[in-house]
Amino acid sequence: MKNNVPPFLLAKPASYDYRQGQGKIKTSFLEKGIHHLADIIKTGYVQGETAALDNFFQKIDARIKVLFLLAFVIIVSLKKDILSEFLIGIFVALLVIISRLNLLSFYRRVLFLGFIFGFLISLPSACNVITRGEIILPILQLSKPYSFWIYRIPAEIGITREGIYGVAMLTLRVTNSLALSFFVLYTTTFPEIVKALKILRIADGFLMIITLSYKYIFIFARTVEDMHLAKKSRLAGQVSNAEARRWIAGRIAFIFKKTQLRCEEIFKAMLGRGFSEHVRIYGVGKLQPRDWAVSVVFSLMGILFLWI
Amino acid sequence: MEDIICLEGISYSYYDKVAAVRDVNLTIREGERFSIIGANGSGKSTLLQIMNGLIHQTKGKYFFRGREISAQALKDKGFLRFFRERVGYVFQDSDVQLFCPTVLDELLYGPLQLEISEKEAQDRAFQVMQMLNIENLKNRPSYMLSGGEKKKVAIGSVLTMNPEVLLFDEPSNCLDPRTQCFLIELMFALNEAGKTLVIATHDLALIDDLHTQVALLSEEHTIEKIGDSEDILKDEELLLNVNLIHEHMHYNGPSIHKHRHSHYFFHKHQSSTSP
Repeated sequence: MKNNVPPFLLAKPASYDYRQGQGKIKTSFLEKGIHHLADIIKTGYVQGETAALDNFFQKIDARIKVLFLLAFVIIVSLKKDILSEFLIGIFVALLVIISRLNLLSFYRRVLFLGFIFGFLISLPSACNVITRGEIILPILQLSKPYSFWIYRIPAEIGITREGIYGVAMLTLRVTNSLALSFFVLYTTTFPEIVKALKILRIADGFLMIITLSYKYIFIFARTVEDMHLAKKSRLAGQVSNAEARRWIAGRIAFIFKKTQLRCEEIFKAMLGRGFSEHVRIYGVGKLQPRDWAVSVVFSLMGILFLWI
Repeated sequence: MEDIICLEGISYSYYDKVAAVRDVNLTIREGERFSIIGANGSGKSTLLQIMNGLIHQTKGKYFFRGREISAQALKDKGFLRFFRERVGYVFQDSDVQLFCPTVLDELLYGPLQLEISEKEAQDRAFQVMQMLNIENLKNRPSYMLSGGEKKKVAIGSVLTMNPEVLLFDEPSNCLDPRTQCFLIELMFALNEAGKTLVIATHDLALIDDLHTQVALLSEEHTIEKIGDSEDILKDEELLLNVNLIHEHMHYNGPSIHKHRHSHYFFHKHQSSTSP
């Protein structure tokens, strides 16, 4: 082997020093995206950790929690006044505190998504072009109103009182629904949620899909992170966005091919272990007195929120 | 021999919660064969990734040739190049390491990143292919290679960068005996050529063959002992404590007996009982 070692491998580096002042490496947008994807693993880990804690709400049966989630999301959608939405928000915050979840990281996530999917999406509807009403903040004054097919653009364009109310309602609804969903996710392990859905007669095919998808997301995120590290270990300079895009495009094709092969192997393994289309669950216990007590409290709160 | 890698009080935890390594202190000298051994999950791969500047310690300091390696230091273009052309990393899973369309592209990727001329990069790639006997694979995509071929290409893709230090993560994993022998010969040849080898493994036979300096990681993610491979491999109690050997029962002819076992050389029959 020694004789086969190419001469260039015997060469020592020209110098043990380096040239300074060649500039700084900037982290590209795509690289940041890969880091965020890798955060999925961390999120999943944190979710699993918090759900397995021995706190009050974590110990409640998953069936009660899933029903609570469904019922309260419906109540949140039915309410038409800001005060009720606000009170539901406070109720969920109290539950988060009782469950000893990290309030800051919980609401950072909820408010960020609520801002994007609630506030930003509904914001244009605050204008009188979409929601008629009393203008409280004029934005633009046109020379005359314009009409086109069923649409009419008034001469004075601005934010209306009714529009702001609508935006606030939608934002609160989205935020409350997200808070409820995250609350149940952070206090219930994923297998318990699947078990509860099975008992609530959700179709087996659907359960199989969400179980495998959940697992695949983690495998995918891990693969992408590992590949990113492997590339990083051979990178000696700045990568342009165009190069990064080309690399990602190539990797998507590779991951697709790899996934296809992995899917075939997993399916063979499933068949080998007697896979049928039915999801079988075990260890379904009876509801404990505390589960009944909590479900009574939740029912009363639900009725209260519907009534006010 | 000059110190090339120096870790001082290195700790790292995943997700800010799961400790991977704790207060690791070790020094690797230029041209040394050094192995980090420990049971699964003891933190071997994490240490290698820190040594390659892919992740950064939560506590402690890492020096390469006397210069501190940190996220901030590696943002300097000149320093990043200095570091990357000197330290190469062969990943445990060759699949993740091979990300170019063909084998030849893989071998050219590193040298071109180092701004070596295309002609020289090509020369290096062909010489490495010749050495690893993979010339026939040059136009193949990585997913059409066998496990041993992938490992050879992964090693080749790092060798074309001609690093001073080669970090190997579980190099003998999933390789057939012939490829393992090839790998050991290659490692000897590279070491004789002046390369510093750092190997993370739980394959005690590999350590014995390569006769390295050894840092033994415990299951508590701390350094249990650093020493010569001969001394460490002799210490059965120590290896048993860190879960690198185990006791098991099996039949030997008509009798059943129990002994310490490592899939390596501890096959000392101590007691026998009839079945």
